[in-house]
Parts: sequence; C-alpha cells; structure tokens
Amino acid sequence: MLQNYLALTGWLLLLVFLQATVFNHIHLLGYATPLPYVYFIVKLPSTTSRVGYLLPGFLVGLLVDILSSTPGMAAASLCAVGLVAPPLLTVLLPADRDEGAVIPSTQSMGRGKFMLYALLLTLLHCTLFFTIEAFSVHHAATLLLKTAGSTALTFLVIMALESIRKHATGSRTARI
Amino acid sequence: MYNFLDFLRRYHYILLFLVLEGISFWLLFRFNNYQGSVWLTSANHAAAEVNRLYDDATAYLHLGTVNRQLTDENLRLQLEAEALRNEIHRLRNDSAAGDSSLRLKLIDYRLIPATVVSNTNRDANNYLVIDRGTKDGVTPEMGVVGGNGVVGIVYLTGPHYSLVMPVNNQKSSISCRVRGQHYFGYLQWDGSSPRSAYVDDIPRYAKIKVGEMVETSGYSAVFPPGIYVGKITAVRNSKDGQSYRLDLNLGTDFSTLRDVNVIATPYKAEIDTLRARAAAADAQSGQP
Repeated sequence: MLQNYLALTGWLLLLVFLQATVFNHIHLLGYATPLPYVYFIVKLPSTTSRVGYLLPGFLVGLLVDILSSTPGMAAASLCAVGLVAPPLLTVLLPADRDEGAVIPSTQSMGRGKFMLYALLLTLLHCTLFFTIEAFSVHHAATLLLKTAGSTALTFLVIMALESIRKHATGSRTARI
Repeated sequence: MYNFLDFLRRYHYILLFLVLEGISFWLLFRFNNYQGSVWLTSANHAAAEVNRLYDDATAYLHLGTVNRQLTDENLRLQLEAEALRNEIHRLRNDSAAGDSSLRLKLIDYRLIPATVVSNTNRDANNYLVIDRGTKDGVTPEMGVVGGNGVVGIVYLTGPHYSLVMPVNNQKSSISCRVRGQHYFGYLQWDGSSPRSAYVDDIPRYAKIKVGEMVETSGYSAVFPPGIYVGKITAVRNSKDGQSYRLDLNLGTDFSTLRDVNVIATPYKAEIDTLRARAAAADAQSGQP
C-alpha cells in the first residue's frame, strides 16, 4: 500500500512537472492543450475515501495552478473531478470484484471500462477548466473546440501514460 | 441533532468540496484580472438591478406626496398666471417700452430702414446723416426712430442721403406727452448733455412723478403716438412759473446710434391737407 502511495506521489510529481514544462506549451492547432494530471485522480485506488479524492484533487490542481500561473482554475476543476470520480468508479467496476483495493487500469477494469472512466473524467475536467478560463459563453464555439480538442489530446496522453506504466509494471513483474 | 451529525458524517465530503471550490474561486477572482473583472461587473450589475428595483418601489410609494406637491404647484402657477395676466392687462393700457412694442405701434406706418453715416454730438445744433434719400421715399419732416425711441425729424433730403435734425438740436421741437396722463408739451434740448432734454408747457395741476415715461403724443403726425422718448428725472417750474418743466433722460444714446428707421406716415398728407383747408377757411372768414 505504501509502495502504491509512493508510486502515486512519484506520478504526481512527474505529471505536474511535465505539465509545467511541456504540456502547457502545447496548443495543437491553437485549441488542444493536454492536461494529463487528471491521470492522478484516475489512478487513485477504489478504497480511497471521498475526502481522499477531494483533497488530493484540490492540492494537485493548486500545484498545477501555481506552476502554470492559472490560480484557482485547475484546483476548482480537479476538485470537482474528485467529487464525481468515486461514484463513477463504483458504477464501472465489476460487481463481482474482490473486497480489496482496486487500482483502476486496463487490466483491473477491462480496457473499455477503463477508457470510458478516464475519458469521462478527462472530459469533465477539460470542460470545467476551459469554461472557468473563458468565464463567459460569448465564444461558445471556441470554448467547445478547446474543450473537445483538449479532451481528445489529454485522453491520448493518459492512454500513452497508462501504456507506459503497464509496460513498466509488466517488466518489473517479469524481472521479479 | 443526531440526524444532523449523522448527515455531517455521511456527507462531510460535500462540505469539504464546497470549501475547496470556494477557495479555488477566491483564488481565481483574487489572482486573475480577467475573471475578477467579470465577477465584479456581474456583481455590480446585480447590485445595480437590486437598487433600481428598490428605487422603483420607493418612487411608487412616494407618488402620493409627489401628487400633493404637483397640485400645490399647479394652484400656485395658476394664481401666478392670473396675476401676470392682470399685470399685462394693466401695462397694455398705459405702458409699453422696448423694440417689440415699438414695432407693434408702428405697424400701420411704413418703415424705411436706414443707417447713420455721419453724426455730430458736441455742437449746440447737432445733425445726423442717414443713408436714405428721396429715391428711397424719404421726404422732409418724416420722423426717425431708433431701437430705444425717438431720434429726430428729417430736415433736408438728397437723392441718396438725408439730414436729420435729432432731438439734441436746439431747434428741434417734438410734441410729447407723459405716458398715461396725456398732458402734452414740446421736447426741447438745452445743449448741455446729449442724453438729457426737457419738456415744457406741462400744466401745473398735472400730477407728475419722477421716473414716469414720456412718449410721443402723435399730434404732429410726424410720429405715431406712444413712441418712447425718455424718463423723467426732475420736475421743476418753468421760467415763467406758469407751467412745469420736466427734465428727461433720453432713451436714445446718440453717441452710439447706428441703425434707425424713417417713419413714412400715411396720415401726414391728409392731416396737412386738412390743416391747409382750415387755414384757408380761416383766411376767407377773416377777410370780409
């Protein structure tokens, strides 16, 4: 368990660092900016308490905000994602699962369910983030394009990260 | 109480969520100029809307008072209008000064506008030259008036220019009366000041006060009656002690006189004809 939290913290630092240095500077076609730090919320174990979702969501968002000078935006969005994630996970997890903690992944949930879970959380986060950033509905088309583009790109990056993680874990397991 | 605590225990994460969102939005508005400005504007808009509604409501509640005030004011204005109407009625009877009333009095007379081109003001016998002559219909013994009243009488005419004997000429003599009293006399000038003249031959039983107005009498047919001449500054005895002599402050300032009107009276020829006939009749009746 401790190992898992350490791994999560490692992921967290990596994601925030990458966000500040790389992803914030990507504006694909002027619209799509990946926000893959949502992955941190996605990977929280199923036994995590509601507060365990909300507080890390808020703090990670705050960290991202501080590093990318968007005070409040990511914190507000990711906190909301943290509120929605547990019930969503409960719905998507197989009903006949074991009592123990399940870390959401392609293996534990099945590829389709995990992708849906990640996609929904990403979509929610991007929608909230860009709506708060625009803070008006006067440029709805731009807002939609930004949200859709960023959701797609973020989802791609998260899938890539999931794939890397799986392979890393796989190789580690192989080595052991 | 227990239910409340139970509710808190079960849904404390909702409270936490709200607190965290509150912090986030505080950060958002506090540290982002754009969102802060939008928030402030919408907040102000909401405040303005509330204020407007409140204002409307209080205005409606005060309508009774406003109505009372309007009624009072209406009554006051009606009384004032009545008073002014009376005043106008009174003044129409015995008083009229100024350009517009002058125009009304001259409505039956033909006016020939002219400009003073030469003017002396220092001599005992001053003359004016105006830029209208016989070709413009000006003939001798026509009256000349300015915006502030009587100027003088046409003395000699040329084809394009005329010489006017103004009031401030010692040979000038214009029939005048005190406004509202009809005692008449002749306007004379003593050669002292260009703004002052006097009227002789006012009977001693006339009750005349300083400050009353003197106007043309209309008896000479040169001027229509009622044209302003000047204001009485002093009432004193004439040299022979038989009548009053009124010192006047003339309405016309000859030192700045420029635009005048020559009055072509339609009645002068008629009156002159009648006078000539009367003189002829007198001469015939006196001869035998």
